[in-house]
Amino acid sequence: MGGCFSDVRGGKDAVGGALPRPTEPNAKNDGAHNDAIEFFYREHGAYPLFTQLELSFSASKLLDLDVTSKSDPMVVVYLKKNDGKLEELGRTEVILNNLNPVWIQKVSVAYQFEMVQNLIFRVYDVDTQYHNVPVKTLNLRDQEFLGEGSCVLSEIVTKQNRSLTLTLKGKNGHGGLRNFGTLTVHAEETIASRSAVEIKFRCAHLDNKDLFSKSDPFLRISRTVETGGSIPICKTEVVDNNLNPTWKPLCLSMQQFGSKDTPLVIECFDFNSDGNHVLIGKLQKSVADLEKLFKEKSGVNFFIPSSRADHEKVLKGQLFVDQFCEKEQFSFVDYISSGFELNFMVAVDFTGSNGDPRKPESLHHIDPYGRLNSYQQAITEVGQVIQFYDADKSFPAWGFGGRTANGTVSHCFNLNGNASESEVVGVEGIMAAYANALRNVALSGPTLFGQVVNRAAEIAASSLSSNNNKYYVLLIITDGILTDLQETKDALVRASNLPLSILIVGVGNADFKQMEILDADNGQRLESSTGRIATRDIVQFVPMRDVQSGQISVVQGLLEELPGQFLSYMRSMDIKPLTFNAAAQASTA
Amino acid sequence: MAANSRTLEITVISAENLKLDRKPIKKNSSVTVRPDTNSQICTTEMDTEGGAYPRWNEKLVLDLPAHSRSITVEVQCKTSYGVRTVGTATIPASDFVGGYVPEGYLHFLSYRLRDNRGERNGIINISVRMKVPEIYACSSSTTSSHSRMGFPVAENNNFGGGVATGVPVWYGSYQKKHY
Repeated sequence: MGGCFSDVRGGKDAVGGALPRPTEPNAKNDGAHNDAIEFFYREHGAYPLFTQLELSFSASKLLDLDVTSKSDPMVVVYLKKNDGKLEELGRTEVILNNLNPVWIQKVSVAYQFEMVQNLIFRVYDVDTQYHNVPVKTLNLRDQEFLGEGSCVLSEIVTKQNRSLTLTLKGKNGHGGLRNFGTLTVHAEETIASRSAVEIKFRCAHLDNKDLFSKSDPFLRISRTVETGGSIPICKTEVVDNNLNPTWKPLCLSMQQFGSKDTPLVIECFDFNSDGNHVLIGKLQKSVADLEKLFKEKSGVNFFIPSSRADHEKVLKGQLFVDQFCEKEQFSFVDYISSGFELNFMVAVDFTGSNGDPRKPESLHHIDPYGRLNSYQQAITEVGQVIQFYDADKSFPAWGFGGRTANGTVSHCFNLNGNASESEVVGVEGIMAAYANALRNVALSGPTLFGQVVNRAAEIAASSLSSNNNKYYVLLIITDGILTDLQETKDALVRASNLPLSILIVGVGNADFKQMEILDADNGQRLESSTGRIATRDIVQFVPMRDVQSGQISVVQGLLEELPGQFLSYMRSMDIKPLTFNAAAQASTA
Repeated sequence: MAANSRTLEITVISAENLKLDRKPIKKNSSVTVRPDTNSQICTTEMDTEGGAYPRWNEKLVLDLPAHSRSITVEVQCKTSYGVRTVGTATIPASDFVGGYVPEGYLHFLSYRLRDNRGERNGIINISVRMKVPEIYACSSSTTSSHSRMGFPVAENNNFGGGVATGVPVWYGSYQKKHY
């Protein structure tokens, strides 16, 4: 049944209005995210949508298949699943008589960073009646096929202007001698607003609801909905024993509060560890009202709904707004499409505990029939997603714990066997270098990550001299337990204020408990031997064998966190997307 | 600014889990920052509301002498018995200078505080940035003037590395100076 004690401290935490401090682990403050909603989705097996995109289309030089007029084209969008099946995502409208159409109807797609989303676009000439007929009901078998294009969603998102032009091909990819024309796909985030407000609340003269001490107040903010009633959007942390509390600043995105004029219900409760929080008072104000309170430095009284019909008792307790500022919050797609890159680096464990690669039980065994071993699986799954975000697809690849050609054990040797250059091209390049290294490097030990982390940190730090639009992702795949935990902690702490995230995948059957310490998800920040503490939690660890039921792969779970880590770094360093000035002007045009 | 000393901008952000006599402190904590050469001391305002988790968000400007190897950060609490030291942390200059990171980079750093018996007592969170000396201003925009070289990039004055004009001259020459 588990422990019988509730996590009271957990119950006192602020929810929903978290501020992105650089020192706060896992501080996700993307406008579309809310921790509670995310948990909900995960429990139900669905994935929290990172962001919703709308695809719009135009085409040129389409085939003319109508006799007395021109083709009447329509686009159908499919998602190609892992098993090869196509799932229709949506259709545009039909345009009359046009070989260079610009469609109006957009198709929505949920952008999921952690997956490779293969999209197929098919253009049809609609020959049947379509006037007043819903596009969805048109039977494609009755229409004429004009051409097909395909791409991965991340290819569109990483382009400047988020537009990709595809050359259309015939069915099954045969071009033949015919020119099928081109299709241009443009992606726009549905969430148009990037506004957020940061508010610091304070109260004075609150009523005392506790018997032997003072109230432990917290605020809960809800948004009213048209059907009456309200939905909570966030709550502050609990301040113990204080009738004149000040809470940490709350950051609310426009997604959460609607508009500056939407009425918000602000309730002040006295926290009780048994869960029965007592209402101290409530009031209703919009964000615009709160801004006014800040400017005038005035307070507003709470009231309590009375048992008598519509009489409300006005209380002595007041709410003040000590700080109010509006901020702009850019999304992950904003950064990526403006030219920010994710640079992939990989490090492979060459310690003896993996087993002799020639034997089939070895974790490094390369199966002659092509089945990927755990190392190859991890490299492929992470590499295939991240490669689209890396402009030159040139990845440093290292091994550690192996005895190289010159006889010494190295904890950071180039996988490609080259003495000076560690980079390989593409995921295929990593796989080839890995296979090659297995033939030339003897497995040895001990398991030490420190040098690889230092090397990755050097690369991340050096890139800062020329620009700040690169973020680095180091994938470490290991089968075993670290020999020197403190050395690794030191390296991780030193790297924690750089644009770097480290994903560690544990393969094989070892007990990886020690790795979970590095992951710091329990709130314990890593401490180096010199007394320095990690600025951010840059490490994530997952054991490969934790295969959950359902379609999410272990590695996808790791990747999901990346956009959040990227955003928290960029926001804390106050780095904005490269062309945001131009983009802002364009969007208001 | 004296010759051979560098200007350091330290923003004292917050501290966590501060205790005196094993009990969380109630209020009135402040922070002093000084280089190990004891040449200058800067102090923040007092935080009166945060208790054991105070927030100052205050920027202090320090001249770091050339031969200085570290700075000391001390959290103090004003109690009815007088001012008491809650904890101290020593920050080696190597944590925010040199290495592969360019000058002018805004370092967010956190350190373990230890009390005068050497026991752990909380964490201090700061950010540090070395100001690039005026003579070398052509490669950086950390000063408030909006001088830009080459094509315009990010509208971001905080970040000193926004212009891709090759290896900054000052970086290499700075490296030769030893503390």
